[in-house]
Amino acid sequence: RYRYNINILPSSKCNYFFLYDGSKVKGEGDATREGICYFYPEETPLDKQELLCGQLAGAGRCVSELSASPVRILRLRRNNFAIRMKDDFFWALGCSAEVPTISACELLDQLINLFCFYNGSVRQSYQLYSQETLAARWAQYLSHLQSGSLELQHIFSCLRTIDSTNVDPLLLLKAALILQACQRCPLVLAGCILFRGRVVSTQMSPELTMKVMVHESETHTKAPSTFSSFGGVVSSTTVFLTMSELQYLQSAPVDKDFRYSHRTPHKNTSKKKTRLSRTLSDTPSTESEPSDTGSSQSPLKGSFSPHFSDSSVFSPDPLDSPPPPQPLQPPFPNGKLSPEAEEEALEESYYYSFHSNEGGVSQLHNEGDSSLFEGNSYLNGGGGGGGGGDGDAACGAVFDFRGAEESHHDTVFTKEASRGGCESVQGRQAEIPDPPPGSGASDSPEECPLVPMMLYLHRVKGLVLALLVEPHFLSDTASMEEVYHSSLASLNGLEAHLRTICPGAPDAPRPYIFAHFDCIQSTLTTNLSGRPGGAPERPFVRATSLLHSHFCNTETLQEAIIRSAGAAVYGSRSVAQETYFQQHGGSLRNSGIPNHQDSAFLLPSKARHRLLKHGVNLL
Amino acid sequence: MKCLLIASESAEVLFQWTDPEFQQNVQEQYGASQEEGHGLPAFEDSISTLFAPIIISCSTMVDRLCDSYTSFTTENNHIYVLHQFDECLYIAVNGDGEEGEGDLRRKIYVMKKMIEVMFGMVTLSSNLLRRELRPQDTEQRARLWKHLQSLLETYSQLRENDQSFLVEAVERLIHPTLCEQCIEFLERRLVQQLNGSVERAGEEVLHAFILIHTKLLAFYSSRNASSLSTSDLLTLIIMAQNMYPSNIDLDDPHPEMAEDSLQALEVPPPAPSTPRRVFLEVSLKDGLYPMMPHSMYCLPLWPGISLVMLTKVLYMFLEAFAKLEKRLSEGQEGSAASRGQPTIHDVRSKLDKFIKALGPSEIQLQNVWTEFKNRAFSRGGPGFNRDLIPWCKNMKTQLCGIYRQCFLIESGKADIPQRLSPSLQERAQTMMQEKLMDWKDFLLVKSKRNITMVSYPDFPGLIHFICVDRSTGQMIAPSLNITERNTSELGKGPVAQFIKSKVWSLVSTTRRYLQKGYSTVTLRDGDFYFCYFLWFENETGYKLEAGDIPILPDDSAPIGMLAWDYYRKLLRYYSKNHQGEVVKCYELLTVHLGVIPTEIILQHCRQLASKLWEPSRNPLL
Repeated sequence: RYRYNINILPSSKCNYFFLYDGSKVKGEGDATREGICYFYPEETPLDKQELLCGQLAGAGRCVSELSASPVRILRLRRNNFAIRMKDDFFWALGCSAEVPTISACELLDQLINLFCFYNGSVRQSYQLYSQETLAARWAQYLSHLQSGSLELQHIFSCLRTIDSTNVDPLLLLKAALILQACQRCPLVLAGCILFRGRVVSTQMSPELTMKVMVHESETHTKAPSTFSSFGGVVSSTTVFLTMSELQYLQSAPVDKDFRYSHRTPHKNTSKKKTRLSRTLSDTPSTESEPSDTGSSQSPLKGSFSPHFSDSSVFSPDPLDSPPPPQPLQPPFPNGKLSPEAEEEALEESYYYSFHSNEGGVSQLHNEGDSSLFEGNSYLNGGGGGGGGGDGDAACGAVFDFRGAEESHHDTVFTKEASRGGCESVQGRQAEIPDPPPGSGASDSPEECPLVPMMLYLHRVKGLVLALLVEPHFLSDTASMEEVYHSSLASLNGLEAHLRTICPGAPDAPRPYIFAHFDCIQSTLTTNLSGRPGGAPERPFVRATSLLHSHFCNTETLQEAIIRSAGAAVYGSRSVAQETYFQQHGGSLRNSGIPNHQDSAFLLPSKARHRLLKHGVNLL
Repeated sequence: MKCLLIASESAEVLFQWTDPEFQQNVQEQYGASQEEGHGLPAFEDSISTLFAPIIISCSTMVDRLCDSYTSFTTENNHIYVLHQFDECLYIAVNGDGEEGEGDLRRKIYVMKKMIEVMFGMVTLSSNLLRRELRPQDTEQRARLWKHLQSLLETYSQLRENDQSFLVEAVERLIHPTLCEQCIEFLERRLVQQLNGSVERAGEEVLHAFILIHTKLLAFYSSRNASSLSTSDLLTLIIMAQNMYPSNIDLDDPHPEMAEDSLQALEVPPPAPSTPRRVFLEVSLKDGLYPMMPHSMYCLPLWPGISLVMLTKVLYMFLEAFAKLEKRLSEGQEGSAASRGQPTIHDVRSKLDKFIKALGPSEIQLQNVWTEFKNRAFSRGGPGFNRDLIPWCKNMKTQLCGIYRQCFLIESGKADIPQRLSPSLQERAQTMMQEKLMDWKDFLLVKSKRNITMVSYPDFPGLIHFICVDRSTGQMIAPSLNITERNTSELGKGPVAQFIKSKVWSLVSTTRRYLQKGYSTVTLRDGDFYFCYFLWFENETGYKLEAGDIPILPDDSAPIGMLAWDYYRKLLRYYSKNHQGEVVKCYELLTVHLGVIPTEIILQHCRQLASKLWEPSRNPLL
């Protein structure tokens, strides 16, 4: 029973993934294989597929009936399975036992969310498309999520970004400005700019950015419609947003860079508030873009009044347009969240919704709740009188109301999320992981209606501008041309600059290893080499994975030092970040007894000192 | 919402325990259809129906995939832990958040340990064990299950409230003088007198100890006895607590729960004069002999104080066959194998008499013994070689069955009067009472405030600590009494409860790290700073260099000493590189206020680590 397996490199990747449709196997004579929608690895013999699907789904159903709740985690001796049960569907993703369960659960949710993002509801997809087509998609999403050489990337499921230490900050600013300029077209919800599979700038939440990146990084099997008029460099595909994603995009008026899933309410940095400014400027008192909301209400008419044909609107220079009013939320310039800041933000959110409710929309507010959004009514021009000039005000009001309502939703959501966190601290020990962030039951794709949107991509060699747009953007040639032409030059310039940046010379080997995870932006900074078989780094990765699970399950835990015979690793976390540090060399000889001169206990001060030059501040 | 279930591979329930919430949950699911009929069988049926798909799926997985379920967690955080021992599947469930996966796995292993102590070698044969755990006679089954259920509840109660059962090490009552006096009394007066008496009916007292609640006041082992393992001692303490649950209402923070569990304790304790048969590990010079039968006499002196004596049952036979089997499997044959003390020929004549005394009812034992004799002793027979090993095993199993019955069917076998006579027991009880009369009130208080943090004024900011000597299986910790009328200096109510919950969760956290090979852990958690250290010393107290700690899989046996002695294995593993040296293993856990500088905290830890086990500080150890 004593297994000594420090030298066995665990595979961080998934060993099994399957989707099983129980509704196909109801009767006595139904073969289990009828229910297997997808099974990875695909070369698994069919009888083994049947065995795993049948047994796991059967035992899972039995347990969920006993407990009146779906199974979330199922462990075998050699594999841990993250499970999702919804309607008759049973998803299982099996990883080796070394992978933190919380990471496996996160991976499964990402996978399902990705599928829904590109295909809509799972049930409907299987009615519309052949099993083979969809199998190819599952395979594609799975391989996308498993790509990346660093095991740590799988533990934290982080966003891959360009190495900002090598890039002129002005280029990042430029990228942000391009996105902001595009957003001035009212049909553009938000966007991001990617370079060779890495994020340069994004206006979307990390979760949504990750979804968009799949399309960029791989040739999507669904033949995207390209537009010949744009030289074949522009393409689009239908995507499906969850209500909460949509609400977030529409309500958060500014940079979403700093927003971290539902843990934090949207934070406003002092940058631009294009959405909000446009909304507020719809009121007769402001001079610009008087009816763009009206236009978004009238897609059925097929006509789009080009009120903003003035191309200066699309200038990437924000100074060209009047500075947007920013009356409501004070910035949190450092993007950092002390608990007080979070509370404050919560209040701000309330304030925002309260404030927005003023100005004559209260009756609208009374009349409707979120049902207003169901059935895409707002997309189809719910306001019948939206055509005329006098409709503008009303539409504006609706829009305004929507903003208020959404922000209200967001606030409630945040509160629920934080309450869930508290429970997890009091109720359980380290063994039960929290539901992973961004995948809480409330966010489960199958639970809320999905809203079709379009993903617009403009490719300039290795650079891609990806925009989430309203569906009728594509039929609106004028808007498309505006967006295309206004950003083309800037994209070319940006691409030329990014291309010339050589990847920084590999770091000189340092006497320490560290990993810094920014929970808000979902980014990871590390000096791990990621070389296959990086044996000296194994102890660090193992310790980090254990500590990460511990941090996730114990909200009050701030710092930890753990030492085995081979390595001492220091971990520290705050609301916004997790940092792990290990010092190489030095004498590891110790007797294990408490000794304050022991080098292990110097790790916190060493980490504080050493990591400053990596831009990590642990004070 | 708790449940523990033992099922055979064919989904037959061999044992079940549920708390009222779980029972209600099952009844709601199975609803009105089960209402009429007797409570027990109906409930048993519905439980077995509900769990059957999981149990059957489990054996399918083992058969066809060579893998099995170890746990399920649902979205509302119900946890199911499964573990298969031979053909018995154990399932432990928690739906109220009070136990984690580790706790449930530990519970399963503890249940198995208690069954081993109660049934001995019978547990080695799934077939026999199934018959033992699920007697055909419903009433007998109900009685057995109730007994096992109340043992399980007593264990859970102790694990939740008693630090020594939290870390699974024995806590001694710190009073050196009295302890010495008592040991002397046990040796010179009590045991000598008992073993010298004709009324002992062939029994020999090997161990005697005095328990104050769960704490050990004095422990005496006779010279020719092997040492008692920590695992067995802890199990015996649970059994003693279960027989005389003196402090259950004092310590339990949920009095209404206590009432529930007391209702389950309806089985009246046996008359004191009836010993319990227990199967304990015996370590002799030539090796370890697991599950050797002993009789356990638990004599209540006063509520909360009891004298426990362990006598050697005529397990000479069992021992003889175990030794013979060992020699045969080592490759010895013929006369080399049949030598030994006592010689097999000696055993032969005694066993013949013994079986004759048993009478014709024990036909199976007779048959096996006859067959054995034919093979071993007859001229043309195969004699003493490897082929005899299965017959040695067979004899052991049969003998275990006899030992079990002698004890279970209490009055049936009057012709096997294997027990200290009641009057002898009474005399022992009176002697001990007289000895401790003046001390009893003091002892009862002392057991609640064994040591207190007040005794450590040199450690400002230190809130609590636990120090464990894993080589001897003993621990020291300031008392943490939450519901006592005379509270500890932590006070009572929420603060003390909070500290207690922190200590409990710290222990499970550090075990998790230890399982993965980390022997030092420090944590800054909220307003506290926690430390954990595990280290090795040689006999002279010289600190040995930290070595590799094995990395164990998630579903490995729980780290502790009660159900499975992790530390014994760890010591053996570590000692490989320290041949010829006696290696000792220690653990220290501390809780400090977070505002205390880390250097000071580490200094405290160092001082505690070096001082606590110094003879001057604690002459007992």
